[in-house]
Amino acid sequence: MLLGGPPRRSPRSGTSPKGPQSSTGHVHFGKSPQTWPRRTRPRSPGLAAPSGVRGSTQPKRRDFPRRAWLTALSRYGARLWMGRRPSLPEARGPAPRSAAASRASRSLASPETSPSPLPATTRGAVAGGGSVQGRAGAQKEVFPGQGAGKMAAPMELFCWSGGWGLPSVDLDSLAVLTYARFTGAPLKVHKISNPWRSPSGTLPALRTSHGEVISVPHKIITHLRKEKYNADYDLSARQGADTLAFMSLLEEKLLPVVHTHVHTFWIDTKNYVEVTRKWYAEAMPFPLNFFLPGRMQRQYMERLQLLSGEHRPEDEEELEKELYREARECLTLLSQRLGTQKFFFGDAPASLDAFVFSYLALLLQAKLPNGKLQAHLRGLHNLCAYCTHILSLYFPWDGAEVPPPRHTPAGPETEEEPYGRRNQILSVLAGLAAMVGYALLSGIVSIQRATPARAPSTRALGMAEEDEEE
Amino acid sequence: MSLVAEAFVSQIAAAEPWPENATLYQQLKGEQILLSDNAASLAVQAFLQMCNLPIKVVCRANAEYMSPSGKVPFIHVGNQVVSELGPIVQFVKAKGHSLSDGLDEVQKAEMKAYMELVNNMLLTAELYLQWCDEATVGEITHARYGSPYPWPLNHILAYQKQWEIKRKMKAIGWGKKTLDQVLEDVDQCCQALSQRLGTQPYFFNKQPTELDALVFGHLYTILTTQLTNDELSEKVLFLSEDGKW
Repeated sequence: MLLGGPPRRSPRSGTSPKGPQSSTGHVHFGKSPQTWPRRTRPRSPGLAAPSGVRGSTQPKRRDFPRRAWLTALSRYGARLWMGRRPSLPEARGPAPRSAAASRASRSLASPETSPSPLPATTRGAVAGGGSVQGRAGAQKEVFPGQGAGKMAAPMELFCWSGGWGLPSVDLDSLAVLTYARFTGAPLKVHKISNPWRSPSGTLPALRTSHGEVISVPHKIITHLRKEKYNADYDLSARQGADTLAFMSLLEEKLLPVVHTHVHTFWIDTKNYVEVTRKWYAEAMPFPLNFFLPGRMQRQYMERLQLLSGEHRPEDEEELEKELYREARECLTLLSQRLGTQKFFFGDAPASLDAFVFSYLALLLQAKLPNGKLQAHLRGLHNLCAYCTHILSLYFPWDGAEVPPPRHTPAGPETEEEPYGRRNQILSVLAGLAAMVGYALLSGIVSIQRATPARAPSTRALGMAEEDEEE
Repeated sequence: MSLVAEAFVSQIAAAEPWPENATLYQQLKGEQILLSDNAASLAVQAFLQMCNLPIKVVCRANAEYMSPSGKVPFIHVGNQVVSELGPIVQFVKAKGHSLSDGLDEVQKAEMKAYMELVNNMLLTAELYLQWCDEATVGEITHARYGSPYPWPLNHILAYQKQWEIKRKMKAIGWGKKTLDQVLEDVDQCCQALSQRLGTQPYFFNKQPTELDALVFGHLYTILTTQLTNDELSEKVLFLSEDGKW
């Protein structure tokens, strides 16, 4: 049951109770039939034959991970990580991702696993993936090479590079990346800091397996859903409606503030000059570093002004206060909605979690001087725990990413010292040269080509005469 | 409103009971008012009626300019003027009438989220349809919007407003959307509302809340307004549960 054959499209016997209700037909919340381990399905006996499965070729597995694979993996992890030792030529990016995820999950789920070194874990995850493919199905990501060989080119995602312990510093890129991690989509992620290098000119951008380029985040997620990487499959229609509602709430209340944080990031001049512009300018190659930060700044400013123009604020401070107030309210609402659950809709992450996580992560991790919102967010413990949980579960190695160089305050000063001094001296010299040149050219000072012997005496005489006249 | 102003208003508001002569101002019903403004006005009227507070509707051609925030409708209560549903709800709450007291925290969060959804999707779609769809603009909107004013003011004001709305659409990313995409969004929004409503009479418990007022305002207006493009009302017609209103 686990080997070969086309990907199973018929739903398992544990039918979804929500199936018949989705008569309205709009597929945004993923009613495509899938072999999707249901929440209620018990551990099937399919896990019972690891050895037979190990050597198998992996059919195209397009199913997506559920919590079931966490528990399934735990059973296999201990047994299989010792067994299979093939070197996977295609164990590229996705493999370490799944390995770490499975490692993390194993540490969560199973008492019997022992901490294993990473290579063994990778192989273990690979093998574990192979064996649980029938139920968990997520492990197709573990054999990207084999899968990729059989289907079209894998999808590539271009997104902003990371910083501050996050895999990406851009809101949309982070959301899309998180969603991809949730669903285990086999994406080749290119982290770049030059938007022109992305196929669509903006980030994030997804190049699908057919060469098409999508750059609107919602459309990217819709595309992933169409490719059967659907984190919302298990949601009831009502939860799907809730997702829409909460995303509107996020967009309305938090987005302006993230932009405002970006505003304190981009627009607050001191901050901009010292931190932002430098970081972006150094991260971006010439000649982008000259105008791209400025362009982004203008875009954010304009959006902020347009959206807030409705309220006719008296001054910027009022606007900021009101924005922060709404954002705080929104965060409190999110916290209330999350309650004590692990994710917004139970125990498995959905697309709403990807978006909420990206907002919260940015707000939490961005090191900005205006800490009011951060302080408020830190006070909402369940949201902080939620963030760290997702980070550790799905981006464990990214958390160790070194923040961009020269982000620490000590760094810039020491680095700048030699250049600073040199620049000062150069500017003084340039000023002097300009003054002297002007003086010479305009005739205030003229160099007389008199004989040197006579010149001092005539000058001395001249001065003596002047003294007398005075 | 700023924090200080809001606290001030709440204090003053709490001091007096709801007067008998409270008035709601909107644009001229027959000739001038547009779809989105009508929806907003109806929502406020529904809300006040759900709270059993008397209100008189007065139509003025310059209601938009009279309003403190530039939006209609606004209410004139005692010596205060409050505009837009959100602040009105808070104002009414300060006076001691509230529809959402019976909700728990999670439900309140959901209610706010759904209100944002309606504002984000339905209202924006209405604005788009009114101002960015050339057929509607030419036939209906321009004529209606500028009707109380003499030539050439009617054209100037209409174009000005259109330009403003188009800028806003571009800022939120709707500038590049086609009509079909907008209608799809409306569809999605209506589906979501329909799913949330299910078979209950109101969205939360058995009592109407401000969310019900808002949704009613928008849906009723969409269903009863003649536009060049009837697809909007067709989409909304699918929500049969709301026929109860």
